[in-house]
Amino acid sequence: MSYVKVSQLAKSFGDVNVFQDINFEIEKGEFITLLGPSGCGKSTLLRCIAGLNQVDNGELWVDGENITDVSPQQREIGMVFQSYALFPNMTVEDNVAFGLKMKGISKSEARTEVKKMIDLVELDGKEKFYPSELSGGQRQRVALARALVVKPRILLLDEPLSALDAKIRKSLRQQILNIQRELNLTTVFVTHDQEEAMLLSDRIFLMDQGSIVQQGKPEEIYTKPVNEFVASFMGHYNLIEADTANQWFNLASQEKVAIRPESIYIREAGRQYGEHISAPMPATIVSHQLLGNVIRYNVKVEENELTVDLLNRSSERLMAKGSSLELMFNLNEIQPVRA
Amino acid sequence: MHNSNLTLHKTIVYGISGLLFIPIFATLLYSFSSSWGATILPDGFSLKWYSQLLTDPRFLDAFGRSLFICIASLLLAMVLVLPMIFVIFYYYPALDKVMNILILLPFAVPPVVSSVGLLQLYADSSIQLVGTPWILIGTYFTIALPFMYRAISNSFTTINLRDLVDAAHLLGASTTKAYLLIILPNLKKGLLASAFLSFSFLLGEFVFANILVGTRYETLQIYLYNMRQTSGHFTSALVMTYFAFIFVCTWLATRFSRGNQ
Repeated sequence: MSYVKVSQLAKSFGDVNVFQDINFEIEKGEFITLLGPSGCGKSTLLRCIAGLNQVDNGELWVDGENITDVSPQQREIGMVFQSYALFPNMTVEDNVAFGLKMKGISKSEARTEVKKMIDLVELDGKEKFYPSELSGGQRQRVALARALVVKPRILLLDEPLSALDAKIRKSLRQQILNIQRELNLTTVFVTHDQEEAMLLSDRIFLMDQGSIVQQGKPEEIYTKPVNEFVASFMGHYNLIEADTANQWFNLASQEKVAIRPESIYIREAGRQYGEHISAPMPATIVSHQLLGNVIRYNVKVEENELTVDLLNRSSERLMAKGSSLELMFNLNEIQPVRA
Repeated sequence: MHNSNLTLHKTIVYGISGLLFIPIFATLLYSFSSSWGATILPDGFSLKWYSQLLTDPRFLDAFGRSLFICIASLLLAMVLVLPMIFVIFYYYPALDKVMNILILLPFAVPPVVSSVGLLQLYADSSIQLVGTPWILIGTYFTIALPFMYRAISNSFTTINLRDLVDAAHLLGASTTKAYLLIILPNLKKGLLASAFLSFSFLLGEFVFANILVGTRYETLQIYLYNMRQTSGHFTSALVMTYFAFIFVCTWLATRFSRGNQ
């Protein structure tokens, strides 16, 4: 049996159905992400796992124990909040020690554990600081130390990086991952950022309107979206109508097909292409966006507008609006998707 | 242009402030003068009115009674309001709107009207309340409620109540422990500021005290009223003592509310 088992979980607030029939299993030490747009029910699901919201239906098992009706105090689950939720009247040290104090751990033992955790999150020297005297990244590290010091069975992270600036976010997510690996912590991470999810997770559970629409390893979710929602959420997939796709690629698909912007090539004269590459099709540049290392072109093929990503190599000239070119598609990466 | 404008503004502000301070200064001067009759300046200065006032057992009793009523009302307000606001903000946030209307009610009815209403209501009651400090404590509680509710609910909105309590729960704390160890210490400043503000307001309250209790339980304001026929120097000393006390309370309230920001 898996370490965590979520079975037929359902929750509604009055007439509003937040999520229904949620089923998944997590292995010990696994890092999983609940990914989805705002309002898809991922944070409420996390709160239900923590016991902060009661579920209407279903069961939740951790390490062979049914914890569906266990209070949050008894669940032994740690959580890091988007708002940090640090106790403003307590110093860093006291915040981290709070959980140990509630458990009745002796002061000397608590001091050693707190020191260890503060070192782990690299905040030594800040023990006597109050949360208001710390930066966002430091606050979130205190919150992480506070959640970890009680040795939780599962660590829940509710969009912990959302309130931070890009640079801090990058370093903190790496730090979270390192600590998770070091402590072999079973972790459930909630985010709406697909890039973050792909970087951190062993597996991703992609949610939409209260249901898990696809689950799997990041590369599976990214390369094999099962429906239009996943395709549009996971990247800038081009969605091509079934009729057009059948005509272009000689298919017999009943469904739309999705193709990633990086799976479309601009034909270069003199270069040899393999058999999995389609015949060239004439296209026109509509516009372009410079995304740093990538140039994103919007191109028109017949009546369809597609997105094509090219690496921004200095040798490649930026193509102007209205330029004509020929597009080729990687046929192996054309993916039929449900509506 | 800018400088002359500034000078004009300063002159107006200092002028009005000075005008407002004249009666206070005159009262202060009068309270320190041994006698001041037909002359422009006092005949001499003395502390005798203050020593007479501060050794008057009737004054000390009245002051003690006022303190008792005000402190008791505030304690009652704190004991009831603090958990109530916590329940409203944590469990029923929608009720905050209802409370904001309810707390305005004590101000909507003039004190004379509501005190006459209270007299009628409790006149025939089997429990003798009119003329006792208890009816004043109950009434003052309703007056303190808006001050306390507003200040404390402001403090609640500045902390992330739900996440703090949730975090405490997950770390093993009960709701009571979360409230006592985390929420309450963060409300301390707002609570003290509102308490001092209500205290200064209640200490000066006269209408309810006069109509509901009167001389049966002489408070500071009733004492002041009853002493109006005695020496003007004595009542000036009384007013200045009261004023100094209120000034200290207001200063403390401002200090605490500034610390809260």
